[in-house]
Amino acid sequence: MSEGEKKGQPFIPFRWETLARKNVLAGLLFIGVAVIGLWVSRHYPIGTALRMGTGYVPRLLLWILLVLGGVVLLQGLREARAHSETDGERTSILRPIVFVTLSLVAFALAIERLGLVISIVLLIGIGSLASRESKPLETLLTAAVLLAFSVAIFIVGLGLTMPVWPEW
Amino acid sequence: MELLQNLAIGFGVAMTPVNLGFALAGALVGTLIGVLPGIGPIATIAMLLPLTFHLEPVSGLIMLAGIFYGAQYGGSTTAILVNLPGETSSVVTCIDGHQMARQGRAGAALAVAALGSFFAGTVATLIIATLAPPLAMVGQSFGAPEYFSLLVLGLIAAVVLAHGSVIKAIGMIILGLLLGLIGTDGNTGGSRFTFGMTRLADGLDFVPMVIGLFGLGEIMVNLTQPGHTRSVVAKKVTGLWLTMQEFRQAWPAVLRGTGLGSVLGVLPGGGATLSSFAAYVFEKKVAKDPSRFGRGAIEGVAGPESANNAGAQTSFIPMLTLGIPGNAVMALMIGALTIHGIQPGPQIMTERPQLFWGMVASMWIGNLMLVIINLPLIGIWVQLLKIPYRVLYLSILLFCGIGVYTVNNSTFDVMMAALFGVLGYIFIKLECEPAPLILGFVLGPLMEDNLRRAMRISSGDPMIFMERPISLGLLIAAAMLLIIVALPAIRSKRAEVFQES
Repeated sequence: MSEGEKKGQPFIPFRWETLARKNVLAGLLFIGVAVIGLWVSRHYPIGTALRMGTGYVPRLLLWILLVLGGVVLLQGLREARAHSETDGERTSILRPIVFVTLSLVAFALAIERLGLVISIVLLIGIGSLASRESKPLETLLTAAVLLAFSVAIFIVGLGLTMPVWPEW
Repeated sequence: MELLQNLAIGFGVAMTPVNLGFALAGALVGTLIGVLPGIGPIATIAMLLPLTFHLEPVSGLIMLAGIFYGAQYGGSTTAILVNLPGETSSVVTCIDGHQMARQGRAGAALAVAALGSFFAGTVATLIIATLAPPLAMVGQSFGAPEYFSLLVLGLIAAVVLAHGSVIKAIGMIILGLLLGLIGTDGNTGGSRFTFGMTRLADGLDFVPMVIGLFGLGEIMVNLTQPGHTRSVVAKKVTGLWLTMQEFRQAWPAVLRGTGLGSVLGVLPGGGATLSSFAAYVFEKKVAKDPSRFGRGAIEGVAGPESANNAGAQTSFIPMLTLGIPGNAVMALMIGALTIHGIQPGPQIMTERPQLFWGMVASMWIGNLMLVIINLPLIGIWVQLLKIPYRVLYLSILLFCGIGVYTVNNSTFDVMMAALFGVLGYIFIKLECEPAPLILGFVLGPLMEDNLRRAMRISSGDPMIFMERPISLGLLIAAAMLLIIVALPAIRSKRAEVFQES
């Protein structure tokens, strides 16, 4: 149980509340990258200032990043409670990230084998799930317009070589 | 007159039908995304980078530049008519611009915004033409130690003048520098952070990264925010002109805004947004009756709108003359140059006068086009505001996807873009601006190269940066900036300037 709990404040486990602060997370992000980077680069030859090895500049930067991350983390830990907490919008956070990412992955996987047309339909279809406000009919119309546009600009206009239809 | 001669070269390049076409395309796209909230010049330029791949370098740059300053024009339209900033650089225009619209003076507000912008654009073009050659000469006289210190100063200044936490911004620069190091080390041949992937041997590709960070990241952020419904002022805008009295009130503000914007644009970290905020604060300070502000003072539109256009354009100066990007848009421009194998730096002007002066001349032409695009055709742009974001983001998403793919015809690149999209979302949510990261990424290889060369000159003694007077001066300036920004009094003032919205 955390001791700094003041009366009247809703009970939230202290650790989680602190973790949700933007600066705490940002600090941990920097530290995490720095630590991983330092570990990956542990065998890179450092050399001397005169003859810098492969690892000289990266490791220098990683140490700076580690220190900066520490400072940001400390700032986050010392902040007043209410300040800079990530907003409580959890319900809708995942949906856009997942579907925007998925739509691109689908597009990437489809473009070479299934061609531009099907890839675009996939991208728009999956992408439209990212917004809760999407309307099926409107999405269909958007897809049709964008399809015509893309073929006109990229295939006809710029003459890019990509498959338009599936290759059997 | 060398200046006239240079401008003649420039207009010769810019007036070719092809380049006029790309200037127009840039101005149109710029106005479009300026009008539409939810997509800004950074994301758009990132999205269109792949397209410039297939163009002549100068045509590509002309178009990208047009998007940047075109967005300054378009942004004011939304700000005035809908009270929504189309761009961050027109946030302050909402305050008095929309009040004017509600008083039935929308026409005057739009006119002063467009004409002020045009005046500022003309002056800024002349400033670039006169200031760039001497600056490039200074740049060319720099040795490796001076250049390294200059890069340090540029990066520090960029984060000090931008908003948000300075420490986090420096962290983002370092992160960018590190990402720039991924791949094969040009000097030793050793590979760095490639995780055994041959795809990474040549380094991270610029296009998937910026499209992910700025294009896709922004979509995700916008979609997690509650749906913003827009109320378009459906009334027809009439009387796109100024009364004599309005004109008298506005022109000194246009002059002041142009001056302020031109100066702030040149500074690293400056550019359109900072200029418009500063101009609004300044106008309020010098006004005889500050209480008019917020109730439809025409100076509150004239000043910031002139300033943001001036700032947008003069921010090209450090990029074109020294190879130092002062903001994310300029970093993207550098990316566009390097895609074509052009090393940005002071040598551009002498080695590629056509490119440099063609671009400068096109800015003036583009501004002229923008006045026409924005004033008589205003009705069309207003109609576009009816496009809901749920349709808009699908278009952005598609352009991002196809754009990334076409650069190398690479599935891997699209996956990388998706990955950087998630990263971009996380950065924005943690208030770690992705812009400094791009500055670092672009400048990383250049910095390491100059550091190595400086060390070779001094036989490995880092004191060389202190012993050379110019280098020392630049480093002292960088240190002073950091100290100043750490002072509590300045800190609160800085927060205040960026707070207005």
